[in-house]
Amino acid sequence: MSGWKRDLPIGLVVLAALIAAPAFGLPRFWITTVTVFFIWATVVSQWNLVFGVAGIFSLAQMAIFAIGGYTTAMMGLYLEWSLWLALPVSGLLAVVFGAVVGLACLRLTGAYVALLTLAIAYILFLLIVTDTDCVYYEGTVCRSLTEGWKGLGRYGDYGFRDLFGRDFHLGNYGLALAVLTLATLFSFAIVRSPMGLAFRALRDNPGYAVSRGVSRFKYQLLVFALSAFFTGLAGSVYAGVFSVIGPNVLQLGLLLFLLSMMVVGGVGRPWGPLIGAALLMLVDETLKEEAFAGYRNIGLGLILAAVVVLLPQGLAGGIDNLARRLARRGGGAPGE
Amino acid sequence: MNADPVPLLRCRGVSKYFGALAAVKSLSFDVAAGEALGIGGPNGAGKTTLFEVISGLNPADEGSIELEGAAIERVAPATVCHRGIARTFQFNAGFDTLSVRENVLVSAHFGRRNRAWPGLAHDRATGELADRALELVGMTERAGHMVRDLPVFHRKLLMMASAMATEPRLLLMDEPVGGLNPGEIDRMMEIVLGLREQGVTIILIEHVMRFLVQLSDRVLIMHHGESIYEGSPRGLTRDARVIEVYLGEGMAKRLRDAMAGGDGGG
Repeated sequence: MSGWKRDLPIGLVVLAALIAAPAFGLPRFWITTVTVFFIWATVVSQWNLVFGVAGIFSLAQMAIFAIGGYTTAMMGLYLEWSLWLALPVSGLLAVVFGAVVGLACLRLTGAYVALLTLAIAYILFLLIVTDTDCVYYEGTVCRSLTEGWKGLGRYGDYGFRDLFGRDFHLGNYGLALAVLTLATLFSFAIVRSPMGLAFRALRDNPGYAVSRGVSRFKYQLLVFALSAFFTGLAGSVYAGVFSVIGPNVLQLGLLLFLLSMMVVGGVGRPWGPLIGAALLMLVDETLKEEAFAGYRNIGLGLILAAVVVLLPQGLAGGIDNLARRLARRGGGAPGE
Repeated sequence: MNADPVPLLRCRGVSKYFGALAAVKSLSFDVAAGEALGIGGPNGAGKTTLFEVISGLNPADEGSIELEGAAIERVAPATVCHRGIARTFQFNAGFDTLSVRENVLVSAHFGRRNRAWPGLAHDRATGELADRALELVGMTERAGHMVRDLPVFHRKLLMMASAMATEPRLLLMDEPVGGLNPGEIDRMMEIVLGLREQGVTIILIEHVMRFLVQLSDRVLIMHHGESIYEGSPRGLTRDARVIEVYLGEGMAKRLRDAMAGGDGGG
């Protein structure tokens, strides 16, 4: 595939720069912020497989993320597992959950998938915040299974504090970067494999795809399940990095923030999630500054509106078109 | 016609209802391997519904459909494709945001058999099959084009290439020349004749009678979901019922004249 010849060098340069950044004195605050970017970019890169490539309007991605995060937290807290052991289990449990969501959406299309998956996420949110039954007492303090609104804590971390002392944030940075790198490679490989072809065929024309031998049942389940693995891992990494996980990860605001990343970057484009997540995180951090107080949401909204109107295929689509136009002007072959 | 004891396709008492309307009503017919059956009839006669039923997209309510003796009337459409029935559509179906070659690759990779695991890359044979299918319809030069940019004729050709890339034993064509100009119809006729020479079994629905009559060994005319004529193309133009509900005297005469002039062999 010719796409790899262009994408692999770009990816390696970006990866090298990200690995080198802390050594070149990237301030601690930014290292933590970029770590969060890695986590969100992982989620969006997998969401893009379902939403962009397969064209299924699922909004379940943060519920899958929460399953991953809570699994890790509970295994650390109740089973006293090392988070490293909990990490793959969280990914696999997320896959099971993702497949169940995919199964539930099988007979639905379009906006109805969005409604059902949003409902699933909201039910999960409600189950957590209304969870007040005491499963055990700590002294006289009642502890519930998920700790409701407060969220779970005190389940440990990925051990970077013991390993690196006060530089533990570098460990988090490395882990999140590793997961993002694998997730990105995974999504590129899927998009360019026959599976990606099946997902895109079903997106463009499901009836026609089925009559050409592509089973909708199988590939819809597959895209939900496959995209859930790294989403679950991202949830697990989040739980380890923040040492606390609560129902706030299921709130609509965050879901829409991540959805905006995908739209701004370019829905269905392999590079879209990374570009969109990087830009929106940067803008969000900038607008958090005192000087812009009150303009944060307006600013993000304006960017989203501008991209939807001016670059309907997102920044990645815009860059592709620009490159194609330049190649044509330079006498090169038109497109790929 | 049916020298072979087990025909390639056997339909017995096939019915499809939409509410009280019988779109296809206890229809029975056989298609022998290597044969070309033409299906005609007025709009709303149930021709396309019959294709929907055979290809499994809209299963039959009654009756049996067998492909080489194996029942397929309850089989999922993707599996019907794997069993060897490919179909083109009246509306110009295609994967709009995929390239021409990718469209054919979908068929070549997924259409021939069930893939338990779709793999991370398609093999060389699959790629070559896709390229041959494009060559068959003369679209090799357009392999990289995006399908949504194609004109109608090329979309029809692509649909044909995509059907052939599944290596079908039975090809169902739904109005392959509907909306095409005479030159394009001739080109399509050449392609279908080429397929017939390769021994592909064909059922085709067409309103362009010259196309239907010249390409079919046998013709079946449907009206209100039922068969009102089944026999030779020549007999079609003399059948009082067919002339009454479908052809009309003028068209029947033109076809008779065309057939008398077109081929000298009796």
